[in-house]
Amino acid sequence: MKISKSMITVAIVAAGLAGLSGCKNTSGTIVKTDHLTGASTIITENARLAHRVAVTKTTYDEVNGLKRVHITLASDRNKVLRVDYRICWFDANGMEIDPQTKTYRNLIIEGHDGVTVTGVANSPAAVSSKVRVRETSQAE
Amino acid sequence: MKKVYFSLCLICCATLLSGCATQVKEVPLDRTASTTRIEPQDIRRTVEKMVESLLVAPGVKEAVGGRRPVLDVEPMKNRTMQHIDMISLTESVRMQLLRSGMFRFVDRSSIGTAATDVERINQENQLGLVDSSKAVKAGQQTALDMYLTGTLSEIKNVDGRTTDQYYKFSMFLKDLKTGELVWADEQEIRKESTKPVINW
Repeated sequence: MKISKSMITVAIVAAGLAGLSGCKNTSGTIVKTDHLTGASTIITENARLAHRVAVTKTTYDEVNGLKRVHITLASDRNKVLRVDYRICWFDANGMEIDPQTKTYRNLIIEGHDGVTVTGVANSPAAVSSKVRVRETSQAE
Repeated sequence: MKKVYFSLCLICCATLLSGCATQVKEVPLDRTASTTRIEPQDIRRTVEKMVESLLVAPGVKEAVGGRRPVLDVEPMKNRTMQHIDMISLTESVRMQLLRSGMFRFVDRSSIGTAATDVERINQENQLGLVDSSKAVKAGQQTALDMYLTGTLSEIKNVDGRTTDQYYKFSMFLKDLKTGELVWADEQEIRKESTKPVINW
């Protein structure tokens, strides 16, 4: 049996695809809000996700002595978009408060729709928040 | 040519053998759904959502009114067909509420209940094992102001190869003095799975 060039090419391409399928980009979009000054920063780490979902509005308030943040996410796709988001809180020293208790929640956004997500601080000591959005398909 | 075949065989064998070893790794706590059953991430999300909802509810603020009421979290009732550790879920809710600093807690549900504690204190006093002037006397334990409890229910529909599973966590906070429901909320989860046409 003769091993032709085309067979070798096919094998290399298949191996390359198999290797690439294991590479998952878990970076996403981050929204940092300082609840004392009101300053809000949006950091885009994943261009693919940024083209699909945009942060259109960030507001914050305080309820029962606890800080609360509202983030509006809008989909730029026609199809249903599935993303995960996690809202974590930091004290005045910049230390994350109870990181284990804040989970990634899933969110389903209909085509070209916007959804507002809300997070409440788990301690009165919280002064800033960080919302991290990632693609659900990229979660392990 | 023989060398090429020999090398290919060797690679194949190595690949197959490497697949035999059990692989263990730590994974993130929040994974994507892999079954239609209740999974750890569902429990974690439910606890987080319920605690957040309770802490910002206007009714709770009114009932708390600047003091720290004494609360007990009773194990939620499991009305599903699955075995789910509801005590663990209850403990997670209590732990997060305790950290918020809004409530004080007593624990009547776990081992070492108030009655057992008092009995042990009395026995120790009678035997003269402890200094009677420093011994804890009965009748000084804090009484409950409120209790928190709830239920987990499910609806399951199977249509051909598709299984549609719906879960509903319901929780409520009751004021023992007035008998009023101070807060109630629900968390709904719906999952769907489709079996492949050819299933090994």
